[in-house]
Amino acid sequence: MDVILGILINGLATGMLIFLLAAGLTLIFGLMDVLNFAHGALFLWGAYAGIWLYGQTESFILGILAAIAAGAIIGALLEKFIITPVYGNHVRQILITLGAMLVLGELVKVVWGPNLIQAQPPEWLKGSWEFGGLILIKYRLFIIAVGTVVFAGLLFLLNKTRLGMTVRAGVMNKEMVEALGINIKRVFLFVFLLGAAMAGLSGILLGPYSGVLYAEIGLEYGILAFIVVIIGGMGSVTGSAIAAILVGVLGAFAAYYVPDIAMAVNMLLMLIILIFRPQGLLGMKEAAKQ
Amino acid sequence: MTLLKVDAIETYLGQYHILQGVSFEAKKGEVTVLLGRNGAGKTTTLRSVMGLAPISDGVITYNNKPIHKLPTYKISNKGIGFVPEDQGIFNDLTVEENMKVAMKKKDDVTMERLEWILKLFPDLKTFWHKKGGYLSGGQKQMLSIARSYINSNDLLLIDEPSKGLAPIIVEKVMRSIQEMKEKTTVILVEQNFMMASMIGDRFYIIDDGKTVHSGDMKELKEDEQLKKQYLGIA
Amino acid sequence: MSKTRFSPFTILLIVLGLFLAVFPFVNDSRTMLILFTQIFIFSIFAMSYNLLLGYTGIVSFGHAMFFGLGAYAIGICMKKLEPGWNGVLLAVLITVALCAVLSFLVGILTLRLKSHFFAMLTLAVAGLLMVTAEKWRSLTMGNDGFTFRVPDLLKDRISLYFIALVFMVLTYLLMRRFTFSPVGKVLVAIRENEQRVESLGYRVLNYKIIANVVAGTIAGFSGILYAVSLRFVNTSVFATEVTLDALLMTIIGGVGTLFGPILGAALIEIAQHGLMDLAKVHWIFERWVILFGTIFILVVMFFPKGIVGSALQWQFKRKNSQKATLDKKERSKAATH
Repeated sequence: MDVILGILINGLATGMLIFLLAAGLTLIFGLMDVLNFAHGALFLWGAYAGIWLYGQTESFILGILAAIAAGAIIGALLEKFIITPVYGNHVRQILITLGAMLVLGELVKVVWGPNLIQAQPPEWLKGSWEFGGLILIKYRLFIIAVGTVVFAGLLFLLNKTRLGMTVRAGVMNKEMVEALGINIKRVFLFVFLLGAAMAGLSGILLGPYSGVLYAEIGLEYGILAFIVVIIGGMGSVTGSAIAAILVGVLGAFAAYYVPDIAMAVNMLLMLIILIFRPQGLLGMKEAAKQ
Repeated sequence: MTLLKVDAIETYLGQYHILQGVSFEAKKGEVTVLLGRNGAGKTTTLRSVMGLAPISDGVITYNNKPIHKLPTYKISNKGIGFVPEDQGIFNDLTVEENMKVAMKKKDDVTMERLEWILKLFPDLKTFWHKKGGYLSGGQKQMLSIARSYINSNDLLLIDEPSKGLAPIIVEKVMRSIQEMKEKTTVILVEQNFMMASMIGDRFYIIDDGKTVHSGDMKELKEDEQLKKQYLGIA
Repeated sequence: MSKTRFSPFTILLIVLGLFLAVFPFVNDSRTMLILFTQIFIFSIFAMSYNLLLGYTGIVSFGHAMFFGLGAYAIGICMKKLEPGWNGVLLAVLITVALCAVLSFLVGILTLRLKSHFFAMLTLAVAGLLMVTAEKWRSLTMGNDGFTFRVPDLLKDRISLYFIALVFMVLTYLLMRRFTFSPVGKVLVAIRENEQRVESLGYRVLNYKIIANVVAGTIAGFSGILYAVSLRFVNTSVFATEVTLDALLMTIIGGVGTLFGPILGAALIEIAQHGLMDLAKVHWIFERWVILFGTIFILVVMFFPKGIVGSALQWQFKRKNSQKATLDKKERSKAATH
């Protein structure tokens, strides 16, 4: 029982990390119809910049802020110089953002070197609590808490604020939003920055969780986030949350019980979704078709 | 006084030359009706005024200022409301949320208008928390008109409000437009000549992307020849 | 222009062909020979990728799956059977069968959906194959891979060079034939305006699947050649980097042009080779991906047709303007008379 609960919490923490990354991706896709394959690069830069400042200042909070800032700044540059020029053309979007992903991934190696970078949780998040034999690692609970708060905040933003309603309206009909007097490009930029900031946050949270950082996590987690977005349904934040937790928990159980196929679990899950429900768990049917 | 003046505009959609010189004026306080066959370019004309189908030539002035180079949202913020052909309802948003997205202010004037609108369209009040996608065609039309009217707009562009609606609902919609006419100027695209002639003051006939005729609505009612030629009404 | 005269491009191709035909006899550098062989092999792979991206507008992130299947097919056949021609033939048959079936399945699943579904599914399948190759140790020796022996003819560097060259030329001619065929014409039309092709009554999906199957099978062949040239195979043949290489080659060389992928393959292979040497001088050259990635982005943004496509466009424009001035001259002449 304890083992199962332990795995569950582990999987939940992983799921939350992926959710933070996937939420931005799904929003950006849903609203702007942009396939941002460079999303993982924002995650990567968030992780490196955050862990770097955390190491310099020994303040994890400052590190988190740096990660969010790094994600948002690179996100803004990406939006302006890489994505806007190829707006509306899916194939070129895929290609160009993939190119950006490669370049940004290598640039990390130029700035911080190609070697592994170690990361430890701060003192106040080290160690664990024990409840009747059940060991709860603090840092994992911290990730779950952060993820839950962000998810709740996102739902509040989308459902209860005019800005959020505008975003959801924009997902359905951009022209009409414009015709109602709203500058949709500003809304786009806001959503992009929000998604980029969440990716950055997710990046630094990963550092102390996995213990090491390397440049390839950008592509790895970027792909994972894409898988989650496809499983959850393009454009659906709640769908992404469910899918992320599903991927995290299933992955954790597979890693424990059938380690041989652990790596393939996500791919298999996506394969099943693509075959039986291409629009994803909570996606709209039209969203999948050409 | 002329509120909106469209002067010899030309518009391309992709490679198709849709508008090849459309001109008309909308006078303050009047209902101007754009008539014409299917595919004549009426919808594109409205979309061009809104900046959704940018013009390649010609001039559009609003209150004597050119607006055709502005982005859509700025045109809208000048005080122009738009009810598109497909109503443009945000299906996943509730009626309330649809209205909220449109409401630029939350002041007393807007709230008063909202109250007035809900009295005009009691259906919207009934389905206030329902999603837009669940509304009937007529209710969607009402919501779309309400949305364009909630801000103190001086001009409403309404594209075929009678399309696909049952006659009894069409009448309701038309009556509401008539009531709004008191407070705002309206440009109406309409196929239903009965309705158009009921509330219209002036008319313009668009054919093959050009304005071919204009005049007083009363004159058109009597001119069987013109009706037959351009509108296919005997 | 009369039919017997060759265009400058054809002459260039013939010269290039002659040069490549005599190259092994005038050159005694083994490295260059191997480099050229690599270029030929990757040209084939890139051409198959180009059929998808350039002629049908499909983006695949897992084209390496076919490459890897071919490589493992030959490796396993050579290792488990005698390293003779029967084994080679069997490997070819296995490759064709597996690649055709797999590309058909992948295509039928996702080609009716938005483009990123195909991209992601191919990525997933290639990833699954890589995991399979890693875990099925009894067959593949896992991550470490294995070496194998090949028939003597394939062992000889010069004969391998010519085999790869011949395959490249054959693929080029096949592509030419294919893209000028009715099916190819429809494929180009799909890339330009899918909806219109659909509304003309063509089953777009079928054509896309055909392209996918042809591309997959050719990619399988390049994988066979690749493994033979190394006489070694490991899981890296399924890696995303292999697909990315093809992507870079196709885009930089000229997407949707016949010769583009060959030029792209040559440029990238040579540059990688050269930069590897430079890496000893300064570590920054180890980060060659930055350079290629930046070029790639710039090409996608400003020269979406790549080097060859842009050159063709430029030539076309020049010809037209020449024609226009000629017309003018003639007209002015006519006017004076």
